[in-house]
Amino acid sequence: MIRIEKNYDGTVTPAPSPAKHGEGPVMTDDLYEKRLAALAANPALQGENVRLPESAGAGIRGGLAVVGVGCLALTALGAVVHSPTHALASFEVAVFTVLAICLGSLFFTMLFQAINAYWPVTFRRQLEQAAGLIWLPLLGMVAVVLIELFSSLFTGHGVLFQWLTEDPGYLLEKKSGYLNLGFLLVRFAIYAGIWLFLARSILSMSLEQDATGNRMLTRAIRRRASWGILAFALTVAFASFDFLMSLDFRFFSTMWGVYFFAGAAMSALAVTTITFSVLRLTGRLTGIVTDEHYHDLGKLLFAFGACFWAYIAFSQYFLIWYSNIPEETAYYVYRQEGGWQVLSMILVIGHFIIPFMILISRKVKRNVLLAAVMAAYLLIFQVLDLTWIIRPMAYVGVENPAGPGSWWIDVVASVGGLALFASFLMRALASAPLIPMKDPRLATTLEHKNYV
Amino acid sequence: MSIVQTVADYLPIVPKPRPKYVTENGKRVHGLIAEYDTPADVYHAAEKIRDAGYKKWDVHSPFPIHGIEEAMGVKRTILPYIVFKVGLGGAFGGWLLQYWITAVDYTGFTVQGKPYGAWEPFTMIIFELGVLHAAFAALIGMLMLNGLPRWNHPLFSSDRFLGTSQGKFMIGIEATDKSFDPEASRALLESTGGNDIEIIEDDD
Repeated sequence: MIRIEKNYDGTVTPAPSPAKHGEGPVMTDDLYEKRLAALAANPALQGENVRLPESAGAGIRGGLAVVGVGCLALTALGAVVHSPTHALASFEVAVFTVLAICLGSLFFTMLFQAINAYWPVTFRRQLEQAAGLIWLPLLGMVAVVLIELFSSLFTGHGVLFQWLTEDPGYLLEKKSGYLNLGFLLVRFAIYAGIWLFLARSILSMSLEQDATGNRMLTRAIRRRASWGILAFALTVAFASFDFLMSLDFRFFSTMWGVYFFAGAAMSALAVTTITFSVLRLTGRLTGIVTDEHYHDLGKLLFAFGACFWAYIAFSQYFLIWYSNIPEETAYYVYRQEGGWQVLSMILVIGHFIIPFMILISRKVKRNVLLAAVMAAYLLIFQVLDLTWIIRPMAYVGVENPAGPGSWWIDVVASVGGLALFASFLMRALASAPLIPMKDPRLATTLEHKNYV
Repeated sequence: MSIVQTVADYLPIVPKPRPKYVTENGKRVHGLIAEYDTPADVYHAAEKIRDAGYKKWDVHSPFPIHGIEEAMGVKRTILPYIVFKVGLGGAFGGWLLQYWITAVDYTGFTVQGKPYGAWEPFTMIIFELGVLHAAFAALIGMLMLNGLPRWNHPLFSSDRFLGTSQGKFMIGIEATDKSFDPEASRALLESTGGNDIEIIEDDD
C-alpha cells in the first residue's frame, strides 16, 4: 500500500513492514532475566518441592520393575502352557497400551509447545519424560515383529498377522503391495526413528534449558514441534494401520488412526493426572500445580477420555453398520459373539457414559484424589479397549486355541507392561526437576486461574 | 433468587408484591446507592455489605475489578445444572420422536433392511436436539438469570449513576432485600465510606 505524505515531494515513505517471524517485542533478554530472578526468589520453586531426590521411591521402583519383568516372564510361560497366539495378543495389548501413553505424551508436549501454551507449563516435564520412554514400547514392538518374522520363516505363516501366509487369497494378493514383510520393516524403522528423534530431542532440549537458561531453546523446540505434529499424525495413523487394523487384513476403516490417537491422548492425560496426584498428595509441587491446573487437565481428560473416544468409536461403527459391507462388518461380527459382546457393552457404558457423567462435574476435576481415581479408571479402559481390538483376532478361524483357564495371561501381560513403564517413569522423574524451571512462560503458569 | 420468581418477573399478569417502602411521591423505593472514589474503596465496602448479610445488591464499576466476586460473596451460577437438565430432556425428546415414528406409529417402511427402532440412526438427531436444547437453555437461562431483556432500569433515573460508566464506583442495595431498612442500610453505606447516598425511585 502506498501512503501519500503530507508534504509530498515525489518520494514515498514505505509503510513500516510488519514484524517478521522471530522479531518483535515478544520477549527480550532483559525481560527474561527479570523473570528468572523473580522465579529464583519464589519460595514455591525451591528444594524438594520441585525436585525429587535421586533415591525417591527407590524401593517401589525396584518392586515395580521386578513385578513387570516377572509378569512378562509369566506371559511367556502362558505361550508355552496355553497358546502362543493368545500370549502374543496379550503381550501386544500391553505394548500398545504403553505405546499409547508415550505417543499421547509426545503429542501433548508438541502441541503445548507449538501453540505456545501458558497454563500447562508445569505439566510439561512429566509429558516429556513419558514421551522420552518411548524406547520401551518400541522394544516391545521389535519383539512382536521378530516373533512374526521367525514364525513366518519357520512355519510359513504369522502368529497374529494373518496376511503373513504362503497361501494368499485374491484379496490379499491385491493388497500385497502394501502388506508385505519387507515394507513393514521399512515403515516400522521410519516410525521408530521419527518418534525417538522427536521425543528424545525435545526432552534433551528442555533439560538443557533447565541447566543453561537459554531462552532460545523454547523457540527451537516450538519449531521442531510444529512439523513434528504433522509427522506424528501420519506415523501414528499408519502405525495403527500396520499393527492393529491389519490384524484382520480384510477390514479397513479410515477412522482407525484417529481411534488409536484418541486412546493415546487419553492415556497420556490419565498417566499425567495420576503422577501429579501422587506428587501432590506426598506434599510436592505445593503452589505450583494447583486446583486451577487440575481443572483444565480434567477438562482435557473429560474431552478425550469420554467424548472424543465415543465420537470416534461411534462414527466408525455407525458407517459400517449402515453400509453393511461384509468385509467391514466382519470386524464387528467377531466382537458380537463368543463372549466379546459383553466387553463391547462394557466399553460403551464404562468408557463413555460413566466417565461422562462423573467427569462433567467441576468438583471431581478439581479434586486431587477423585481426578486420580478417574484417571486410573480410564487407563484400565484403555487396556480393555485394546484388548477388544486385539484379542478377538487370536480366535479367528481357530478352534478355541487357548482353553478356558487362560484369562490370567491377559492380566499378567497388561500388569507387567504398565508396571515396567511405571518403574522407568519414576526413575526418569527423579532424575530431573519436576517442572521446566527456566521456561519463559513459567511465571504466568503459576498464576493460572479459571474464572468459570 | 428462585427460578419461580425469575419466571414470574417476565409475566406482567403476575402482580408484583406490595412495596414495603414508598417515597413521599408515593413511588416504590428501588433502593439506595452510594458512591466510592477508588476500586479499593468499593472492594472493601463490598466485603462489609456481604458480611452484613445482604443478598440483593450490586457493585457498579466502569471496568471489571479482579476478585470482586469473592468480595461480594457471589455464589456460582446454577446455569450449568439448568443447561444439563434441559439438554438431557432434549436428547430424550429426540429419541422419543424418532422411536415413536419408526417403531410404534408407522412400521411399514423398512430402510435398508434395518430393524425398526434401531438406535444407531437415531444418535445424530438425539445428539443434535440435545445440543440445541442445551444451547437454548444456556442463552435464555443466562438472560433470565440476569434479569434481561428489560426496557429500563430504575437506576437509570439517577444522573449520577451514569457516572459509573466513566470513572465512578457505586454500590446499590435494593429495597426488596430482606435485610433492607432505610435507616440501617443508609448507616451501613455511610460506615463503609460511601458518599452522596441517594434514594432511587421505581417509576413502575
